[in-house]
Amino acid sequence: MDINKIQNIVKQDGIVFLTYGGFLSQALISGMTEALEQEAQNSELNMGDSSNIFTIFIELSQNMMNYSKSKDKNEFKSEGLILVGKDEKHNYFIHSQNIIAKEDKDSMEPKLAEIVTLSKDELKKRYRELRRSGANTHGKGGGIGFYEIAKRCEEIKYKFTEINENRYYFHFEANLTTK
Amino acid sequence: MENLIIEETKYTPQIEMNAKEGNIKIVGKSYPENTFEFYEPVMKWLEVYFNGNAKKQTILNLEIIYFNSSSSKLFFDLFDLLEEFNSKNLIMINWTYDEENESALEAGEDFKEDFENLTINLIVK
Repeated sequence: MDINKIQNIVKQDGIVFLTYGGFLSQALISGMTEALEQEAQNSELNMGDSSNIFTIFIELSQNMMNYSKSKDKNEFKSEGLILVGKDEKHNYFIHSQNIIAKEDKDSMEPKLAEIVTLSKDELKKRYRELRRSGANTHGKGGGIGFYEIAKRCEEIKYKFTEINENRYYFHFEANLTTK
Repeated sequence: MENLIIEETKYTPQIEMNAKEGNIKIVGKSYPENTFEFYEPVMKWLEVYFNGNAKKQTILNLEIIYFNSSSSKLFFDLFDLLEEFNSKNLIMINWTYDEENESALEAGEDFKEDFENLTINLIVK
């Protein structure tokens, strides 16, 4: 393993200031959020933009943590990856990737497919409807979390890649422009 | 009735629930590992408080800098509980947000719309 390879990727793809692959715990998530707060401060981001970045990061990383907690450790290793970066125009991007079960893909996919078709106003409306109804608001499977993320960024992208009939890679991407 | 104090952590807010003064304060960040477990004592305290221990007026000061979606649901449930006791009690909620934090303002506005019977003041810091 050559750590310079990582360094090169970091340089090439803009300033990726945070990336982590492995087992996620609450303590780690809160430590990484602190690092993000530092980044926001150094880049003099306004509070609105920075709180959107923190919320998206927390939402995605806690999702991944819940997956790695709930699955049989032998079968589902927490091969999760999350990164936050920014380009030269100070647009931020948050990418995540983890392995999920087919049943979770089946519950997430229709929500995500709906989300990408909604306008900001429709998203806000839908988010409140779902929060009021109380269904799927916590636990795995996307709940209102993906609506929360979509409300707070310009664009989301997602993809499921089949590993075998029971397991999928879930790739997710949120892009934010800052003021 | 006992007061409930929960100290702030890196991912949970400072909570002060004072029964004698009818003052409740929740200030900070909110993204607990298990949101519903974390806020369970708060919800229980409110139940006990409003069932015979409430002051003439109860003031709830909320200032949440950022929060995860399960906290958003939890605050919804909290307002729902307050609405239940609202007809027999004088309840005032102050939702404080930073001028630059549009999402926090929007969250406050949404709660105001969702709970028309509650008195929710949006206060810019």
